[in-house]
Amino acid sequence: MYKHKNTQGSGSFSWVFQRVTGLILVVVMIGHYILMHYTPESGHTYDAVLARMQSNWYRVLDLTFIVLGMYHGLNGVWGIFRDYKLKSWQTITIISLLLVFGLAFTLWGIKTVLDIPYVQTSTSGLIGK
Amino acid sequence: MSEFKKFDQKNWVATNLNYKKDSGNWAWILHRITGIALIAYLFMHILSLSPLSQGRAAFNEFISHYTTPFFMVLEWLLFAFVLFHSLNGIRIVVVDWADGARYHKALYRYSIVIGVVMFFAMGYVMFSHEINKLFR
Repeated sequence: MYKHKNTQGSGSFSWVFQRVTGLILVVVMIGHYILMHYTPESGHTYDAVLARMQSNWYRVLDLTFIVLGMYHGLNGVWGIFRDYKLKSWQTITIISLLLVFGLAFTLWGIKTVLDIPYVQTSTSGLIGK
Repeated sequence: MSEFKKFDQKNWVATNLNYKKDSGNWAWILHRITGIALIAYLFMHILSLSPLSQGRAAFNEFISHYTTPFFMVLEWLLFAFVLFHSLNGIRIVVVDWADGARYHKALYRYSIVIGVVMFFAMGYVMFSHEINKLFR
């Protein structure tokens, strides 16, 4: 006898989203690496970051990176814990810790990106000196 | 039924180390290890870039500690972790969504080859000054 079981609430959404965010992260990661390592110097100084951050596209890209990376990473960690038989207090503790630290660091990262000032002129290139 | 080996929870480390592993097992193990390392790195990355809020002097002071040869080698090794997790992640998606279960072992071999090539290419880019000095 074959019984249809509803997949809602079973984590099937997070399973799909883990793959979707993973693929997006691969694309963003390639851009990130070209940007940071185009030459040995590129990207690693304050001026390079400042020049880049004058474009809101880069800010949006970095914010996407932080949020998706955090989600993908912490969902992955939770996936590892889900492999083990957990008591409900352990589940609650682990999820709480992941949420609290994840949210705190995500907000910290967002704040760091948004704190970078907009300056008037910029003669340095996108990749930086 | 008695020939089935039962999983001994008290000996899980030995059990995990001793069973015969094929490429898929290694992919699974390494995907976990690299994944844990990468999320730990993301936390460190947010922490270590936070001096950006304090202006040019503070940031350049801070970042100068991380442009030493030691940290550049670590950065290169980080790329190995990123590469494995990315390439094996693509392999997982292909297995799940594109009938890759039929050729997942070949995919694993290809991803290792591509990964090794990209690792050394990145090594050349990151250390090109040092390499150029050697062959001047």
